[in-house]
Amino acid sequence: MNLVLVGISHRSAPVEVRERMNIHESRLGAALSDLVAREGIREGLILSTCNRVDLAAAGEEGSEAEPLLRGFLADYHRYDPAAHDRHLYWYRGADVVRHLFRVASSLDSMIIGEPQILGQFKQAYLAAREAGALSGTLRDVSEQALAVGRRVRRETGLGTSAVSVSYAAVELARKIFGTLGGKTVFILGAGKMSELAARHLVSSGASSILVANRTFARAEELAAAFGGTAVPFEGVLDHLQRADIVISSTGSPGLIVSRAAAENLLAARKQRPMFFVDIAVPRDIDPAVNDLDNAFVYDIDDLEQVVKENLAERRREAVRAEKIVEEEVERTLRRLASRELAPTIVALEQRLESIRRAEIERYRGRLGELTPEQRESVEALTRGMLNKILHGPITEMKSRVGGPEHGALVNMVRKIFGIND
Amino acid sequence: MLLWIALSFYGCGILLTLPSVASRRPALPRSALIALCCGLVFHGAWIELSAVRLHRLPVSDLHSAISFFAFDLTLAFLIIYLRYRLVWLGLFMLPFVFLLTLAAALQAGRSFDSPNFRGGWVAIHVASMFLGYTGFFITFAAAAMYLIQERELKSKHVRPLFQRLPSLEVCDKLYYRSLVFGNIFLALGLITGFVWASRTWTGPWQYDPKILATMVTWLIYLVLFSARASGTWPGRRSAYGAIFGFAAVMVTFLGVTFLSGQHGFLPRP
Repeated sequence: MNLVLVGISHRSAPVEVRERMNIHESRLGAALSDLVAREGIREGLILSTCNRVDLAAAGEEGSEAEPLLRGFLADYHRYDPAAHDRHLYWYRGADVVRHLFRVASSLDSMIIGEPQILGQFKQAYLAAREAGALSGTLRDVSEQALAVGRRVRRETGLGTSAVSVSYAAVELARKIFGTLGGKTVFILGAGKMSELAARHLVSSGASSILVANRTFARAEELAAAFGGTAVPFEGVLDHLQRADIVISSTGSPGLIVSRAAAENLLAARKQRPMFFVDIAVPRDIDPAVNDLDNAFVYDIDDLEQVVKENLAERRREAVRAEKIVEEEVERTLRRLASRELAPTIVALEQRLESIRRAEIERYRGRLGELTPEQRESVEALTRGMLNKILHGPITEMKSRVGGPEHGALVNMVRKIFGIND
Repeated sequence: MLLWIALSFYGCGILLTLPSVASRRPALPRSALIALCCGLVFHGAWIELSAVRLHRLPVSDLHSAISFFAFDLTLAFLIIYLRYRLVWLGLFMLPFVFLLTLAAALQAGRSFDSPNFRGGWVAIHVASMFLGYTGFFITFAAAAMYLIQERELKSKHVRPLFQRLPSLEVCDKLYYRSLVFGNIFLALGLITGFVWASRTWTGPWQYDPKILATMVTWLIYLVLFSARASGTWPGRRSAYGAIFGFAAVMVTFLGVTFLSGQHGFLPRP
């Protein structure tokens, strides 16, 4: 299993170095073809995202894949090893499998549990396949990595909770309103963060947007971006009653919505629930509004608290995910080793079988005329002997599959029985 | 015998469901659903056989009544689960179902027959009552889930155990629909009961405690319904009302059973 991987990630290098090593997807095919065209490299896979670049290669039997991969890097990026070597990480053999599995499961991502990496990995896999760069072990390992990524996603809660403030707001809105379809979002005070939160809400199904801002022009601008309506800031309280979700981030030094005002709003809405996301500092919504039935107020601290708790839960889930990955790594290594063992066993059996037949042929004259039963007995005797002789080595090799001594043992057996051709 | 098999399936179903409640994994495991369906099949078979044997719906005595109720609840849960995918509802309903079925199985074989309990009207009456109670049980569960979810949201701390609670809106919808369902069937039960009793019973049956208690229960739920429909009592207060109402249901069903004369499930002395 001649696998080697070199990579650079957000952990090992700053963005200036990462961007130098980045390979744009339009150039991916050419790079892959270049890689596998090199003497000694049979397969290649390149994963290049904004946070990482991983190059994996499977070398031909007996060749040293690592220096070849190093050479490819030097040629392709024309980089200075002295400057960049300290940013690279190298993996060999089983560690390559483990690294690929962990990456696909988003365990090596900047934000553990992020959903994009699996899709990006799949793109990398498809590009490599299309370039004809996947034909054997590396293809097997890549496909398995995708399966492990899916399994981790399915069996753990790794990617399920919000770890950014705006997603947390959406998650909370869903807990109150179920589906967001048909719900109205009110942006009170147009700003970057409220825009982002509104965008998330809209992509999660919220249908109408109202915007109010001190400068009406800005409100109109933002409303146009969402296909919503701008609303005058004066007397905004009258318009607020139409909102199910209010995202508030005005620069006002005082409260915009007092407890009494909220009571009126709720009454006007016949007690249909309202969700206030108050990301302004100083706050726009009176915290006492949260004490009202059917009104929910989360300020910026509350949202960050939710994110913190979700992150803690992700870390717990990550532990479980790592266990799953380990399990899958062992299973894959065992399978690969078995597969590599098969030709050795076949070669061994064939070798001894040819010896057996040759010897019977040689002694045919001395045995003289044999009855069919006697002939049968001779066959059975010799075959039985061979099976018993072979049983030992084959069992030993099978039992050590995946272990550290396996490769050496297989080589020894091949040497001893003379099946290295 | 069949009932014990059904019981063990329910038990398996519950055990398989429990991990899903606290985790973030989607939905109940297939195995849990299959276990519950098997339980339902066996339970249904038991009811069917009893019905055939007795030539009527087997609800005349306490244990078979309980068993019928448990059957209704499980069926309702599965139907609702298919529609709403509410794992949490299972946590409320299934242990309750298990206890009910256990009680029924323990007492099996002591049913008694009474000429009073034959005939179509009784069957409709009893079946309607049970469907009504099933509806109200779901109302209770929806109310409880609503209260828990609301408290979680207000406290701003998301405890992992309550991650999978349905949204307030779904709880509310479930509450409302089951309330309507329960009201309709309880009303139907009361009406058919009156019709049947007026034909069969003698004496001042109108003052039978069970009937009176049931009417009170129905009124409670009617109030809940109108409050909810008009929007006067949304959210938290409705939920408390539903829980109170369910307590009334339990009183009606169990407590009065032992007190009532003609209406009781126990043989008259």
